[in-house]
Amino acid sequence: MGEQAPIAIVLAPLFGALLIAFVGIRFKALCLPVTLGALTVSLAATIETFRTVLSEGEFIYLISGWERLGEGKGISIGIEYRVDAISALVLLVIAAVSLLVAVYSRTRVVAETPDRIPYYYMLYLLLVAGLAGMTITNDAFNLFVLLEISSLTSYALIAVGSRRAVLSAFNYVIMGTIGASFYLLGVGYLYIKTGVLNMEDIHAVIVANDLAESPSIQVAFVLILMAVWIKMAFFPLHAWLPNAYSYSPTTTGALMAPLVTKVMIYIMIRMMVTVFGLDYAFRATLGMPFNWSNLVVSLSSIAIVAGSVMALSRRDLKKMLSYIIIAEVGYMVGGAWLANERGMTGAVYHIVNDAFMTLCLFLAVGVFIARTGDPRIAGMNGLFKKMPITMAAFTIGALSMIGLPPTCGFFSKWYLVGGGIEAGQWHFVGALLFSSLVNAVIFFRIFEIAYFPKELSDPAPECTDPDAAPVATLQRTPLSMSLPLWISAIALIGLGIFNHTITQWIGSALGSLKFFPPAG
Amino acid sequence: MKGLALFAVVLTGALLLYATGDFPAWGSVHSPANGGELSSHYIENVRTETKVPNIVTAVLADYRSYDTMFETVVVFVAGIAIIALLRDFGNGSRGYPPALANNLPEEPDLIITQTCNLVIPVLQIFALYVLAHGHYSPGGGFQGGVMLGASYILIALANGVEVAMKAMSERKIMLLAATGILIYSGTGLICLLLGENFLDYHVLSRILPTDPIMARSHAILIVETGVAVTVAAIMFSIYANLATRGTLKGGL
Repeated sequence: MGEQAPIAIVLAPLFGALLIAFVGIRFKALCLPVTLGALTVSLAATIETFRTVLSEGEFIYLISGWERLGEGKGISIGIEYRVDAISALVLLVIAAVSLLVAVYSRTRVVAETPDRIPYYYMLYLLLVAGLAGMTITNDAFNLFVLLEISSLTSYALIAVGSRRAVLSAFNYVIMGTIGASFYLLGVGYLYIKTGVLNMEDIHAVIVANDLAESPSIQVAFVLILMAVWIKMAFFPLHAWLPNAYSYSPTTTGALMAPLVTKVMIYIMIRMMVTVFGLDYAFRATLGMPFNWSNLVVSLSSIAIVAGSVMALSRRDLKKMLSYIIIAEVGYMVGGAWLANERGMTGAVYHIVNDAFMTLCLFLAVGVFIARTGDPRIAGMNGLFKKMPITMAAFTIGALSMIGLPPTCGFFSKWYLVGGGIEAGQWHFVGALLFSSLVNAVIFFRIFEIAYFPKELSDPAPECTDPDAAPVATLQRTPLSMSLPLWISAIALIGLGIFNHTITQWIGSALGSLKFFPPAG
Repeated sequence: MKGLALFAVVLTGALLLYATGDFPAWGSVHSPANGGELSSHYIENVRTETKVPNIVTAVLADYRSYDTMFETVVVFVAGIAIIALLRDFGNGSRGYPPALANNLPEEPDLIITQTCNLVIPVLQIFALYVLAHGHYSPGGGFQGGVMLGASYILIALANGVEVAMKAMSERKIMLLAATGILIYSGTGLICLLLGENFLDYHVLSRILPTDPIMARSHAILIVETGVAVTVAAIMFSIYANLATRGTLKGGL
């Protein structure tokens, strides 16, 4: 069955969702076991796929068995999967994070959406299927189909929360739909000029027919770039993100915050590396007197600074984390566009690290809110004493976000800063250091509140929803919540200690690529 | 703010127009999308590879069947999302304004119900025809499914949602919608269990009494049936939930 593992990654959550539709609606207690089972199968298949890539290098899985046509590489007439070192890594992150969050959801989904448990888990599984399918596919149009699935499910998973969540989900629907239509337009333009949809084939046709200067291809490039930027909340296209992640149910936030933006960054890199090619991505100018690399790195620097500054002024925990995500998106976009291997390695490595850092912090914040019922930073008053173990995990996540060794945040930032220096993009280096400093201020302020309890003067939470049904606070942290939190915190240290292995692994996929640093 | 939005719209429009100048001539047989290697292969080889007369159907349900499977899942997701957000399980937990009062007349209008009784069977037969004829003419699972779903919506329009729900209960909607996708993905899974890749229909010749190429043609009908079942159930579900504000009681 080894060679069928890639398809099982996507099919396991899909069949899990169908099983919930058949039995979960009647027997609600079965929903969570089915979800956990499906995600475990998916994780096992991902590990199997990862091992295949480890031993044989990148490989292709032909869906429907249609062989490629013609001499040499030929062209693809069906749809195919392609797994290389980078996509295998991202798939592993998706499978691991979704399983951990599913364990974590045990008490939360029952408490927050008691009458819609089966529907919640169906949407949850289909979101995971969509994200994994986007990561593994080698077909530009198939990516759009799975983008639709992951978008629709995430809108619903957000809106199923309180009434404020409905409004923020509506904003997300508008922004997300614009993004998806831009992507579709971009793929349409590519198809008109190349006549193929397979990612590698599009690249081959662009090179063979010398289409680099073609206005349609350049416009397609801009449209696809805008689409992924909207979807990943790249500043200034970020407005949908903070409310969507803060007002959604706890589990939704913990699943989407680590995965959705990160998968979109992976897709941006896939577009740059596989579809358009790095020489195109770094040089295409659309007849303008600038080159893309410099422009996007400058935008990233602005995004990092803006995200950090906005995070600094938030009093709500989840909002604050959401703005940190926006700054982190700037890290990865900037790293990918530095036009050198070190920066690209840092960006891919940071996708993995940031997924686990965000997971750890969102899980910890979920525990705090479940225990205290207060979403504000001020609500963390004296928490070191009240729940020392959870605070320890939160501290590891926070230190990684700041970028202190031996947590993984330090190492990916090291690569990004190194890449910035190599490329001579000093403003990017400055923005990274500034953001680390701001993160340090934010988190040490939280540590202070949590370590030295004070009398609260203003008990009215900023973010509670008067219409929402009150969710009872927990007296103890259940194992289903603390276990995933601890695994994610340990993963942060593990990812840091094995940084050399991981970056070598990423380098094995990037090694054959030629980077084209912009002249001057 | 309005000015900024206008600027963005004008800029996007200008970009799109800029690209249009570079397009191949309209309808040209030499354009990449018409005369490229990929389309030529489809046009020349569909009959020998799949025995399906309608090239569009072959591309949709065989060469790119994986896409179509997930398009069906998109329909399924839309249905679940609407139930998850709108369905009022009777405890007012969503906090929406109360449902409309039951504004159905005491007696259903004779002319309307009789007309519907005449139209609905014809509509359903025609839906099955559209579904089955997808191999030869425009049609197939999505179109047939929509017509099938419309026939139930017509019952609901004429007699109220509750009467229609007797024929298509909430439980049945969920089962049918999932069954449709199971028919599609299950066909793919059988191929996988028979030792080939997912959705590689030709291997079905071992369990269907045909040769491997004809098996592709038959499998397309099977998966199209799955699409139709899901689409019909979800169409009706979306109508019933939207029209009654999630209470599934009363009528429009």
